[in-house]
Amino acid sequence: MNEFVIRTHNLTKKYHDRAAVNSLNLSIGRGEIYGFLGPNGAGKTTTIRMLLGLIRPTSGKVEIFGKDLQKDRLNILKKVGSLVEYPSYYGHLSAVENLEAIRRILNLPKSRIAEVLDIVSLTKEARRSVKGYSLGMKQRLGIASALLGSPELLILDEPTNGLDPSGIQEIRELIKRMPKEHGITVLVSSHLLSEVELMAGSVGIIAQGRMVFQDTIEHLQHQASSTIEMTVSEPEAAVWIARDSGLTGQLQEGRIHFDGLSNTQVAGLVRRLVENKHDIYRVEEKRKSLEDIFMQIVGTGGSL
Amino acid sequence: MMLRALSADFLKIRGKGLWLLIVIAPVGLVAMQALNFGLRYDFLTKLYAKDLWGGLLDNILRFVPIALFMGATLVSSLIAGVEHQLSSWKQLLALPISRTAVFSAKYTITVLLLAVSCVLLSIGSAVLGIALGFPTELPYSDLARIGLYPFIASLPLLALQLWLSLTFRNQALSVSLGIAMAFGSIFTGNLGEFCPLNWPLLTVEGKHQGVFLGAGLGLGLLIMLIGLLHFNRKDVA
Ligand SMILES: Nc1ncnc2c1ncn2[C@@H]1O[C@H](COP(=O)(O)OP(=O)(O)OP(=O)(O)O)[C@@H](O)[C@H]1O
Ligand SMILES: [Mg+2]
Repeated sequence: MNEFVIRTHNLTKKYHDRAAVNSLNLSIGRGEIYGFLGPNGAGKTTTIRMLLGLIRPTSGKVEIFGKDLQKDRLNILKKVGSLVEYPSYYGHLSAVENLEAIRRILNLPKSRIAEVLDIVSLTKEARRSVKGYSLGMKQRLGIASALLGSPELLILDEPTNGLDPSGIQEIRELIKRMPKEHGITVLVSSHLLSEVELMAGSVGIIAQGRMVFQDTIEHLQHQASSTIEMTVSEPEAAVWIARDSGLTGQLQEGRIHFDGLSNTQVAGLVRRLVENKHDIYRVEEKRKSLEDIFMQIVGTGGSL
Repeated sequence: MMLRALSADFLKIRGKGLWLLIVIAPVGLVAMQALNFGLRYDFLTKLYAKDLWGGLLDNILRFVPIALFMGATLVSSLIAGVEHQLSSWKQLLALPISRTAVFSAKYTITVLLLAVSCVLLSIGSAVLGIALGFPTELPYSDLARIGLYPFIASLPLLALQLWLSLTFRNQALSVSLGIAMAFGSIFTGNLGEFCPLNWPLLTVEGKHQGVFLGAGLGLGLLIMLIGLLHFNRKDVA
């Protein structure tokens, strides 16, 4: 995976001396789905605009497909499809006409329009004016526009923003197919970790313009330690029994919490409690959710 | 590349009322004179007895500058509005096309649309003259001149309006400035030959028609280039 599709070097964008993006080093490998995460105002859209050459970095450099964006913008953009913030479309035109406007600029065969409409399942509605589309349909049209030029890299900024759960699911399935079926590398931004964890292989977390975490999703999940929570008939006595077998548990609201127990430790503890005539009502594993970790990383400004 | 952008632009203006505007404006100007000459036929034909066509064209010409300025303002704004409306700039400019091509296409379509208007004005004037029973040897060159020359001299305003409309999402600024200049042009007559708002008339009347054609073309080109340079560098929201 040392073939990078996107690499930024100390990418910085300042607005009135305030850095919206600060020394960002992004690296995205070929064929992966990269989740670009951050709370509102973190600098995701600003970064994406710089990746597309829509705004100029204050300093730093963007490299896409190993080429310098400043020097090779048009050649790079030939292989990039994008959807920034919310979908852009011409409301008075139909989906076909919207795609046709882009097709004329990209100089592609007409058949390509039907192909992308089919990919995003808009074929049936394609002749209606886009004004009357639901948000989900507009979003899918946005993705169809991004796919029109058969890109090798797809950059999607919050493509599920404002969608209902089934809409989110649909877009997610669509994105997941990209690397598999079309060999496309995808950068997808979101402010919800739960949304990208189901599709992304790698994540970059940005907070206040700085990258605070960048690694695989497994690595992130690894940070999630688990606790075992037990509900028993006589909690105080049970804590002592546990301590006898070398396990320290905390008593909270009548439940006992243990940090990081192995399977055998749990089994042994349960056996001893039962032998001592305790009734065991519940044994639960509580994982710190990824969202908690996300909040923790973003909140502390990134000490992981 | 510019032609591809241009062909996309022609698609985008479908159903935006632009074509209607382009047709209505010259028809309106001609209709006004049809009314004028219709109501005061005897008086006016006596007044212009020596040169009926000249009299008609003179009357039409009075309103050509203001119509051109309004037209340039509105067409520029509508052309830019197509992209501003749903922030389509970010999609358009992330395509593999140079900003120069995008800007040139916008400029070209605006010029072409207004040129159609001007041609229609020439044709309409001829039709009106014939309908009024004027001599059948048409003053072709005068007819062509009334459509073409003032238009060339209004290119500086067109370039300025297009630039402002493309730059500022809020069209209130560019449109009110354009309308102010259009109506202002009625009163700038005594500011002399250096005021570009007077140039459209000066390309048809007066002694130095060629100078004002050249000035219009030159200043128009200059403003367009400044606009282009700015458009090439600006951040896209
Ligand atoms: N044109 C601009 N002028 C001034 N400040 C700006 C501009 N664009 C963005 N910013 C600031 O830069 C910061 C980052 O904004 P950005 O839109 O990149 O955040 P984001 O991560 O995309 O947030 P969201 O999740 O809300 O979309 C914000 O504080 C924003 O106010
Ligand atoms: Mg954003």
